Amino acid sequence: MRLALAIAAFVILIIHGLVFYDQFFHKWESYQTAYFDQARALAKTDTERAAVSGRKPRIEQTIVTTFGENRVDRCLTCHIGSDDPRFKEHAQPLRSHPFSEALGDRLLNGKWERRHKFSDFGCTVCHDGQGRGLETFYAHGEDHYWNDPLLGYVTQHDWRAEFKDKLKSTEFMQANCAQCHTEENFKSTPLVAQGRQLFFRKNCYGCHRIEGLSSGTLGPDLSEVGKKFKLDYLWESIVDPRANSKTSVMPQFKLSEAEIRALVTFLKSRRGINYSETSLDRYRATLAGKSTVGKVAQPGQPGAAATSVATASSVVATVPTAALGEKLINDKSCLACHKLGNQDGGVAPDLSFAGLVRDEQWFMEHFRDPRARVADSIMPSFGFPETDFLSITAYLKSLTTPPPFTSPAEFFKGTCARCHGEKGDGKGAIAVYLEPYPRDLTKAGFMNSKSDERLITSIKEGVAGTSMAPWGHVLNDEQVRSLLAYIRQTYVKDKQRPLKERDVPNTNPIAMSAESVTRGDQIFQQRCTGCHGKKADGKGPNSLDILPRPRNLHNADFLNATTDRRLFESILYGVQGTAMPPWVDYGLTKNDVGNLVNYLRSLNQNAQTTKTGNKH
Amino acid sequence: MAVGKPAKHAVEELTEGQQNRRRMLAWLSSVGLFGSAIISAISNLVFIKPRATYGAPNRFGIGKPDDFPSGTRIALGEHRVCIVREGDKLCAISTTCTHLGCIIAPSETGFACPCHGSRFDQDGNVTGGPAPKPLPWYALSLAPNGELEVDKGTEVGAGTYLKV
Ligand code: FES
Repeated sequence: MRLALAIAAFVILIIHGLVFYDQFFHKWESYQTAYFDQARALAKTDTERAAVSGRKPRIEQTIVTTFGENRVDRCLTCHIGSDDPRFKEHAQPLRSHPFSEALGDRLLNGKWERRHKFSDFGCTVCHDGQGRGLETFYAHGEDHYWNDPLLGYVTQHDWRAEFKDKLKSTEFMQANCAQCHTEENFKSTPLVAQGRQLFFRKNCYGCHRIEGLSSGTLGPDLSEVGKKFKLDYLWESIVDPRANSKTSVMPQFKLSEAEIRALVTFLKSRRGINYSETSLDRYRATLAGKSTVGKVAQPGQPGAAATSVATASSVVATVPTAALGEKLINDKSCLACHKLGNQDGGVAPDLSFAGLVRDEQWFMEHFRDPRARVADSIMPSFGFPETDFLSITAYLKSLTTPPPFTSPAEFFKGTCARCHGEKGDGKGAIAVYLEPYPRDLTKAGFMNSKSDERLITSIKEGVAGTSMAPWGHVLNDEQVRSLLAYIRQTYVKDKQRPLKERDVPNTNPIAMSAESVTRGDQIFQQRCTGCHGKKADGKGPNSLDILPRPRNLHNADFLNATTDRRLFESILYGVQGTAMPPWVDYGLTKNDVGNLVNYLRSLNQNAQTTKTGNKH
Repeated sequence: MAVGKPAKHAVEELTEGQQNRRRMLAWLSSVGLFGSAIISAISNLVFIKPRATYGAPNRFGIGKPDDFPSGTRIALGEHRVCIVREGDKLCAISTTCTHLGCIIAPSETGFACPCHGSRFDQDGNVTGGPAPKPLPWYALSLAPNGELEVDKGTEVGAGTYLKV
């Protein structure tokens, strides 16, 4: 009992002692003492000596009220020699802050003068870090979950090792200069300017939105990306887009390390708000309905930013030419996604023969609105000037060398396999980016339920509303036949059986009428929405579990190119090799199907009237 | 309650060794507890005053000595201090009235308070009005970056000048 009391008393004493020590003997106090001692030794005049004498260690803090939210900076508590030119050779934390022209410092009569006084700007405005922290760990923020770890100096312990050296650079500080110096070509932030240019030159703006700069919707909004993410994450997202998001469709751009650095710095500078705006400015800006961040183009006009930048860059086009188109295709990073010759972005269809299989009108409609012809295309709408589109079209049309057809196998390998896969299983390199997916040619159920004529038509005329191009412009009938034979023989394992004759009308016997459409709508809502979705866009609750995915029935090009007969057949007898069941087994009558077909046609009627010339 | 055994232990004689051990333990316990108490007391006394507050800083730079030509008496409103320079001598005098804390302005004869009419001479001594105490002088020093620094945390006696 007494022993326990004695031990307890001692434990309490030790704990108290530790707390006491922790609270009274700080690192920063010893830094300050060291500073005072050395400053006293360095003092040459009485005034200098007097300035140090009598000073005792204490928390030095600056409260900065000028830049957005108030900041409390206690950095000078450790870095107490920051503004003492005599300490420029000392080791950190006492070393004085360097002077530099890039920071706006001026050399006057042999003496440097600071442009950004620490008492006005504090430290964290430029350096990031946690201004209130009094210990290295808390102040520099060496923690993955810290809001703003020190910019350009700290390497996180869990940062990817191969990025470590790249991320330790004072250059990244330009991202913070750009918080106040928003001018497009501010001379001290060349990296930010270069990054901004790259953002447009590499067509990032086509997919990403940045408030006041661009309005892409395909990729994440980057307006505040610098606030949310750290340098390593930004770097990684650019060099390895799928590192953090497995489903990312962002292509891997071939960028030099300097270019990545510029882009990372530019992105780090995007913080939604910036310090140079007071909250009042921000309020006024919201009232005026526009942002004051980035004064490149009028926000809200999708094409505006692109146009102004496109014309501002070296390409000032007046007459569309194929040569200009070639330059544009390369400059504008089309090949970051598409394939052309031996350059391959690995995301979007091969353009090498596009000029043979698509016509001018198709190209122009596709450029102006990528979803005009392929309903679910992921291609962003790039707001290039019309002359650029015409030039690209001219260039693509000038590529008239057809792919060599030495054998069906070679042709398949060189042309079809990129989508349909080397094994014909529909899992080609770019298949995941295509909507709808390429057919799985190994599915005997599907392949054997279709006549040769039907499949030959698909090869020759393409499949409207999808990425399947009309290869009849490249291959003659003989070659198409041998290609199909090759596919059947190589990929479809089961033997082809004679097709059952089916009792299907050639044209819809039910006349188109509002009543019929309503009836069709009712049936659709009862029977079809599980897969095709309430909106008939192919995104029903079951759709995710099904491959191939249910058709998007708003794909006007596809539906308009599909005959009544084929719709009847698909609905009544199902589509073998897919999840579409034979509805005749579930009690749908021909009249029901007629109403359904009318309903589907009505969905795409508007599109039908605005578009002409679907067939090639 | 059942009748227990007679408490034999209580009357048992302690050996000398046991006594020593008890004394030792008691001593150790009291050192532990008293030590803790003293440390706590010191901590409390020290921590009762915050080490840093979010008010305006006590120590601040006010610019180069050249910004204050000889003969100037410049009141820095936001800092509530008046910088006086005569020749190569500089000092910083508070401009907060010692009566109720109004901001006073330099006048021809020294300082004058607009609120209740306190008057002070050039050195901040009270010459009239309700102010009970002279205006404090603050420590002024020349920071290594060449700027004058006022430390409102340190009062100095009237007549303490900084020579530049
Ligand atoms: S406050 Fe200055 S005289 Fe009363």
